[in-house]
Amino acid sequence: MNILEKIRSHFSRRTWITLIIVFAALMLELFSAAQYYYTKRILEEELEKKASIEITMKAILVKSMLNTTEQVLNSYMVELTKLAQDTDDIDDAICTIAQANHYFKGVGLAFKPGYFEGGDELFEPWGFNSSSGVQFKENIASRESHDYTNYKFYSEPMSTGKPYWSDPYIDTVETHSFITTYSIPIIDKNGERAGIAGIDLSLEWLNDTLNNRHIYPSSFCMLLTDNGKLISQPSKSHHKHKDFDDAVRLINDPTADKRIVTNSKINVIEFVTEDGEDACVFFHHMRGKPHWQVAVVCYDKEVFGELYKMQLRTGLLMLLGFLLLGYIIYRFLKNNKRMAQNELEHERLNTELHVAQRIQSEMLPKADIEHSNVDIAGMLVAAREVGGDIYDFFVRDEKLFFCIGDASGKGVPSALVMSVTHSLFRAIGARESNPARIMQLINHAVCEGNESSMFVTYFIGVLDLPTGRLHYCNAGHDVPIMITDKVHKLDVKPNLPLAVMGDWQFEGQDIKLEPGETFLLYTDGLTEAMNVHKHQFGIERVLDIVKSSLGSSPQELLNSMLDAMHHFVGEAEQSDDLTMLAIKYTPTIDDVVLEREITVINDVEQVTLLNDFVDAFCADLKMHTSEATQMRLAVEEAAVNVINYAYPEGEKGELNVKAIATASSLKFVLTDSGMSFAPTDAPDVDTSLSAEDRRIGGLGIFLVRQLMDSINYERINGHNVLTLTKKLLVTND
Amino acid sequence: MKTTINEIDGKLVATFEGQLDTAAAVEVEKELKPLYDNEDKDIMIDCEKLEYIASSGLRILLGILKKAKSHGHTVTLKSLNDDIKNVFQMTGFINLFNFE
Repeated sequence: MNILEKIRSHFSRRTWITLIIVFAALMLELFSAAQYYYTKRILEEELEKKASIEITMKAILVKSMLNTTEQVLNSYMVELTKLAQDTDDIDDAICTIAQANHYFKGVGLAFKPGYFEGGDELFEPWGFNSSSGVQFKENIASRESHDYTNYKFYSEPMSTGKPYWSDPYIDTVETHSFITTYSIPIIDKNGERAGIAGIDLSLEWLNDTLNNRHIYPSSFCMLLTDNGKLISQPSKSHHKHKDFDDAVRLINDPTADKRIVTNSKINVIEFVTEDGEDACVFFHHMRGKPHWQVAVVCYDKEVFGELYKMQLRTGLLMLLGFLLLGYIIYRFLKNNKRMAQNELEHERLNTELHVAQRIQSEMLPKADIEHSNVDIAGMLVAAREVGGDIYDFFVRDEKLFFCIGDASGKGVPSALVMSVTHSLFRAIGARESNPARIMQLINHAVCEGNESSMFVTYFIGVLDLPTGRLHYCNAGHDVPIMITDKVHKLDVKPNLPLAVMGDWQFEGQDIKLEPGETFLLYTDGLTEAMNVHKHQFGIERVLDIVKSSLGSSPQELLNSMLDAMHHFVGEAEQSDDLTMLAIKYTPTIDDVVLEREITVINDVEQVTLLNDFVDAFCADLKMHTSEATQMRLAVEEAAVNVINYAYPEGEKGELNVKAIATASSLKFVLTDSGMSFAPTDAPDVDTSLSAEDRRIGGLGIFLVRQLMDSINYERINGHNVLTLTKKLLVTND
Repeated sequence: MKTTINEIDGKLVATFEGQLDTAAAVEVEKELKPLYDNEDKDIMIDCEKLEYIASSGLRILLGILKKAKSHGHTVTLKSLNDDIKNVFQMTGFINLFNFE
């Protein structure tokens, strides 16, 4: 046994299946987790890439606009130096610059206080774009008390000598628009800083530039100053308004948990919005001046939304798959179990059917009748394991009891009904010799509680073997065929089948058989046997076979009949039970060795005469005295029965006793003309009872049975005829 | 058929002689009345010379036995021949009586 087999044998199949399911679940779970992780990584990388590009792109856009401003102003450097000497063309110069770009809100110059001798202390000529073209103000400093020296746009270039970009602010002087100012120093011909020139750049375009499209539907861009002041944000209608402040606050929070996006200098901070949504803000400083920051805010929901959806879908699919797998395995196991159960059940049923079949076949009489006066053969071929047909026969008191029956239907139900009927036949036949009476009692019993509306056709016959008298009663069964040298059907009264009406009066009949006469009983399985063309075997064919088998023994007759039927039916399946019973009456007539008779009257005192008669007869037969005593006792008991009970009290009657001896048997035939009474139907005495329970009566006939080999009662021509028979041992002397 | 009844050693002893067939039974039953009437003694029946018994004879014996038993006494049959014993055997009476 290799290791695999060891493992296999160690676990039950159930354990195996559980293991497989658990393993499959683990694998799926792992796979799903890995897929989730990698997909999320990919999406994260994509987000970072997108955000980086977005920030870079926006920075470039903003920068390009700022560059335009720078270039315009720088290109006027020479003209500005000239203006520092001669202010006459200032208005022209300012208007020209202001017209260079429509985002230039205003263009102005601011000179060092007292730069021009005799001029105003503060001199700030300024022009601005209005709907009606560029308007020029000669000196806004004097008019508006606008001390520009306090402003960084002036002080920064003046002190550093370098260009300066102001933080965005609202122009309060004239245009009231959101602007930023680019200013450069004006260098006069002496190389001194005479003042500054500046362009007010409108930032109206910023919003459009920053938020004209989004990398995710709800994501948005912001522009912040170097020190984190919000310059531009999406329009106020943007529904995430509150989130701007959060993002700005985080960007300015040095303690915020920020990280650098791989392969770039972009910062990212993950946060949770006020609405509880996961979000992140990417931000980065623009290169050069102004050192503003571009920021992008994205929401996880939108970044990973597809992943979540996919995850949900996958989860559902997996769950579905598992349920399906579970169901399949469940069905598989259940089927297996059911199949195994079915198999067991089937086997059990088969076994039971076989037992039933054996029981049923054992109910059939096996041994041939050990009586020289009759030859009998029976045959039952069931269509299934068990069937509703039966035949039976037994000999009691020199009488052959036989029956044949067919319960309606087939299989187990009819077999059950039939076995009940059969048992009743045996039980009642043990003490009742009248077929009509037996039929009556069986019918009464089977009608009680018969709600299955099954019925039984039945034929009961009682053949008195010494005399050949056949008593019979037919309950709706197929009419037996009588065979001598001619063939005819038995005359039967139209009685109902059994189990139809409980109180039906069954009528019996009797005939006397001729020596050698045979009769054939059968069930409709014979006449209704069908061939493949659905033609029935039929009674005519049965009669033909019978006619062609005249003189054959019962067994030969049945064989010929079966052969003929098989030949006729051919390949067709047997549809009904087939039962046949053939009985041939073959009386033997032995030579009488000794015969005497005596007639006594019904007086117990006459018993002495009878006893002497029997003693003398036995003595003449040279019987052993013990045996002779038994004969005397038997005859006395039988005779006393007649003397005491055959005639009404006080009425005189006769009893004739005939003793007949052949070489093999001794018979006493007691004949009286009293009331019809069959002593043979009396119940047996229970010899096991205690003295207190023993009844005084009933011993006589019991003793007769014990002493003789057989006793037989017949009512013949108004006489009770009781025959007691003892077999004699054949001796040589 | 001849019967005699004696009292020996505190027992009623009946002796049967001959053939107890049905014809004899009526007379014998009368003769055995003392056995039926006995209330205080065990009964012994000597069957040594009994040649034959029919069921009517068995009935008489059964009657006596039932009576004796009702008073707590026994009925013992003595010296039965084989044929008669056989009849007792067949009828199961062998189980009812005591035998010597």
